[in-house]
Amino acid sequence: MSREAYVAPTSAFNTGTTVDPGPGLTTQYICGDCNQKVLLKQGDGIRCKECGHRILYKERTKRMVQFEAR
Amino acid sequence: MAPSRTSTPTQWSADFDTSRRERLFRNPPRDHTAYPALVDATQPHIQSFNALLGNGQLLAAAIRDIGTKSFLHQRPEANAAAAQDGEGLEPAQGNRLSLRIREVFVEKATIPPANKYSTKNREIYPAECRERHATYRGKLRIRLEYRVNAGQWQESVRDMGQIPIMLKTNRCHLENCTPAQLVQQKEESEEFGGYFIVNGIEKLIRMLIVSRRNFPMAIVRGSFVDRGGTYTKYGMQIRSVRPDQTSQTNVLHYLADGNITFRFSWRKNEYLVPVMMILKALVETNDREIFEGIVGNLGSQGVENTFMADRVELLLRTYKSYNLLGKARTRAYLGEKFRPVLGVPDDMKNEDVGTEFLRKVVLVHLGNVDVSQSQDIDKFKLLLFMIRKLYSLAAGDCAVDNPDAVSNQEVLLPGFLYGMLIKEKFEDWLRSVQGACEDWIRTSGATFTDPGFLRDFTSKILRRTNENIGSLVEYFLSTGNLVSSTGLDLQQTSGYTVVAEKINFYRFISHFRMVHRGSFFAQLKTTTVRKLLPESWGFLCPVHTPDGSPCGLLNHLAHKCKVTTRDLDVSPIPRLLAGLGVSDLSSASTDEKVVVQLDGRIMGFCAPEQAHTIADTLRYWKVQGSHDVPVELEIGYIQNSKGGQYPGIYLFSQAARMIRPVKYLPLDAEDSVGPFEQPYMSIACTDNEIESGESTHVEYDPTNILSIVANQTPFSDFNQSPRNMYQCQMGKQAMGTPGTSLRYRTDNKAYLLQTGQTPIVRPPLYNEYGLDNFPNGVNAVVAVISYTGYDMDDAMIINKSAHERGFGHGTIYKTKIVRLNEDRSKRSAHAVTKLFGFAANSHVPAHVRAKLDADGLPYIGSQINEGDILASCYTVTWEPTKHGFINRDGQNELHKYKDPETAFIEEVRVLGSETGNEPCQAISIKLRVPRAPVIGDKFSSRHGQKGVCSQKWPAVDMPFSESGIVPDIIINPHAFPSRMTIGMFVESLAGKSGALHGLAQDASPWRFDEDHTAGHYFGEQLRAAGYNYHGNEPMYSGITGGEFAADIYLGVVFYQRLRHMVNDKFQVRTTGPVTQLTGQPIKGRARGGGIRVGEMERDMIIPGLGCVRVAGAF
Ligand SMILES: [Zn+2]
Repeated sequence: MSREAYVAPTSAFNTGTTVDPGPGLTTQYICGDCNQKVLLKQGDGIRCKECGHRILYKERTKRMVQFEAR
Repeated sequence: MAPSRTSTPTQWSADFDTSRRERLFRNPPRDHTAYPALVDATQPHIQSFNALLGNGQLLAAAIRDIGTKSFLHQRPEANAAAAQDGEGLEPAQGNRLSLRIREVFVEKATIPPANKYSTKNREIYPAECRERHATYRGKLRIRLEYRVNAGQWQESVRDMGQIPIMLKTNRCHLENCTPAQLVQQKEESEEFGGYFIVNGIEKLIRMLIVSRRNFPMAIVRGSFVDRGGTYTKYGMQIRSVRPDQTSQTNVLHYLADGNITFRFSWRKNEYLVPVMMILKALVETNDREIFEGIVGNLGSQGVENTFMADRVELLLRTYKSYNLLGKARTRAYLGEKFRPVLGVPDDMKNEDVGTEFLRKVVLVHLGNVDVSQSQDIDKFKLLLFMIRKLYSLAAGDCAVDNPDAVSNQEVLLPGFLYGMLIKEKFEDWLRSVQGACEDWIRTSGATFTDPGFLRDFTSKILRRTNENIGSLVEYFLSTGNLVSSTGLDLQQTSGYTVVAEKINFYRFISHFRMVHRGSFFAQLKTTTVRKLLPESWGFLCPVHTPDGSPCGLLNHLAHKCKVTTRDLDVSPIPRLLAGLGVSDLSSASTDEKVVVQLDGRIMGFCAPEQAHTIADTLRYWKVQGSHDVPVELEIGYIQNSKGGQYPGIYLFSQAARMIRPVKYLPLDAEDSVGPFEQPYMSIACTDNEIESGESTHVEYDPTNILSIVANQTPFSDFNQSPRNMYQCQMGKQAMGTPGTSLRYRTDNKAYLLQTGQTPIVRPPLYNEYGLDNFPNGVNAVVAVISYTGYDMDDAMIINKSAHERGFGHGTIYKTKIVRLNEDRSKRSAHAVTKLFGFAANSHVPAHVRAKLDADGLPYIGSQINEGDILASCYTVTWEPTKHGFINRDGQNELHKYKDPETAFIEEVRVLGSETGNEPCQAISIKLRVPRAPVIGDKFSSRHGQKGVCSQKWPAVDMPFSESGIVPDIIINPHAFPSRMTIGMFVESLAGKSGALHGLAQDASPWRFDEDHTAGHYFGEQLRAAGYNYHGNEPMYSGITGGEFAADIYLGVVFYQRLRHMVNDKFQVRTTGPVTQLTGQPIKGRARGGGIRVGEMERDMIIPGLGCVRVAGAF
């Protein structure tokens, strides 16, 4: 089965970056139970540091989010 | 008014009650719900589950029925000796291990003790399970007792895994939560439970129709003839139910020569026994007693019934050939024959095996544990009655009982089925212990009496058995497949559970009121099982059934119909009956004596005239509440008739019966009526129909016969009935408001209507069920006019300005789960092979970095299109020296968004494990897809009038009325003549006047009649507002400005937006993937396939279009 769908040409100038995690690449999450901010490193156990809750929400991005209005 | 000071009122009218509703919404009540009707809707589910471990203690009854299992281990030479001896082994020849379950415990959902991090709250609430895509379950434990030979009973508490728990039951944290507390726990304020959460999906066990318990039913079935030479079509079937709600069906077959055999099914095999053998095994009896028990005492009219007397004589005569005299020898004979199938220990005496057979198989509702002599007499008497009824069926003196009528049916309740399953798994497990013991004996060479055995028993032997019953039960819930060694006396093996879809609230609530006839009946070619019978009146809704293949098999309970979930206390009934003149004297002639039964137990017999008085007296007492007669007792009084149903008084007091409230006229009080008694009662439909001296009851409201959803159709009595059925379907497909706790839900797909409104035209039940909390559509100004030509054939034109104001604007929420550990069997922190994020020193292309945060997860609020990256992860291995995970290959694995639609990241959940120490192995991403109405989307009014949007017409070009009103929707007048949905016209009138006067219009059916018409009532309201009495108005073309030649019917109708949208359906293809074998385009929209031009389409193209050249292509 072959898919002959249209594929957009990959731009040649798309070089990208190399990740250097460094020692403490942490991301901030929000606890699903007590709303505390939770800082986690990659590979950390998923739980709230305050209450031990097992669901964390990702925070809304601080970057500008802009869409074309139609 | 502070909500805490006074009790929250629960009475509702048809009014808008805007401020009251707003107050309830802002301050959820702290005492009780404001919508008790909604809570009642799921009671059959919840109460039946509560009965498992609550006061009813069904599981306790189940382990009593399982009893003590014992295994014998003997030396091989003793075995050989036993084979010679038919009477079984002497106990001294082997060692015996006995096992019994003494107690069952089910705990509420908590996090495991291994988790040391949760200090505040160790309870797991349902919302967490939904969000984590986990199962809401609690620990199942049993107290097992065991002993060797006659030694001391030892006990061990065994962990049997975790079983899923039904929400809002006595094993759920939410059981007694007030609306305010429910909101605290991230639930709906009106959460009513009744379902399970399995892997984050809400599942429920649906109610099934089964035959009425403990009632011998006269059956005529052609297939009986195929059983063998002399079999006839006549049979007498009884579904006998044990106290733990498991059942055993017994059937008597009438043979052509007049003989009768007893048939039962045991562990999926069928067995036949001469009925005489069972009679003689039950009690010490003689032929005369049996003859008189069936035909009647000497001197009674029954003896004159030569048909019956001849056959009973033959019955007795043919049995002589077995030459079994006395109860003990008969039981020993039965025991010898059934020893292999009953699974009894080898040393049990044949007579005891026979007793065990009678206990387990024969009329189990009359005694299934430690059967006493009087219980055996009860079984004997009922068997005699069944023989008598069977003979009179064969003689044509009595009619068959219709197994498809609700009067001969009851409901298999979800909790009871759950208990039956758990019971069976317990029994299977106990049996499996034997195998584990044998393994131990084989490897150790020892026997039960060795000291090593007791030491190893719990630590080694039981470990080798599968103690995880919880996972078996969870499998049942997640697949709906019943894996059973006995079949549980049920006719199907799959389809027991369904997903409780929350497309909108109607859909959700309907699941809990749904009763299915059984998937076995779906294959039947005959339509008899699907028929709407008058017996269903008030119990099953006549309107609310789907069209198509499940029509008539999938019904819904009428909204006032309840299902009993516990057995009533009927201890005073035998005494009362005796006082009313019921005696043991019987006769085969029903003109002389008719039977009186209580839950399938013969209480005695009385004269037919007496029976009438007894039934009336009992009914008076039960409604009055005197003489300790419970009001929910069902008094089925079947009068004598010529060739009708077999007469008698049949009292039913047990669980699983449908009942409904009706007003009892002599006392002007509420009576509860069951489907068995209802056909023989005179219940007036309205007060006007009460006939003096004839009617005993009157309906509280004729709308009680309709289901919750069918009741929401306005003026449904004006519509042609199929249109009301279509509305019941479409109401459940509308985009609406699934709930208010959407934030904490992770449905695969959830639909939300952004601009929901309360309908102007609605019945009072709309408020009683709190449906304003879940708006399901919008009020629209509708003109019935043929305009522009774009409204042909059920198409409708939407005013573009209405669309821009948000008419029908909706949203779809999709949840995608990204799991790293697809093989979920290995569950330890060190089995982690992947982590979210980017590998150290790996190359990340810019377009990936633009979409993903440093943790490898998408930015919330960002837009994603097809092919964009949703998440990134990389492989890791555990490095004990560094005490961390390290990546070796420097590669990132990217997860793509594959759907063709633009979406926005709404939420990203990082899911932890129950133990709290595992790194992130799964995320759940909620996507928002905006869905403004587009051409091709489906809409419908509440009268089965669906249509597709064909144009969004600019408001300037829309027609307008004299007062300047421009319709939101234009529909074609041709939609009406053939469909006859007059209810929609009435709704249009009522909606218009309601909008003009600010009224909520009561739209209940059967409120108007010929002298007092709806057209006049609403016409006068319109006239008072200065509008045309008939609802017509002069209108002007938006294009020319000229007045139309005809006045246009213009009014306000509530419109639903259905979830079927073109964006999910359109299929276009030029070239694309083909199948390897044939080179033809593949099928399936999701894969970019084509649409088949089938045989029928071909037939149309060649001759119809004259495309001769095309013909060669086919
Ligand atoms: Zn927390």
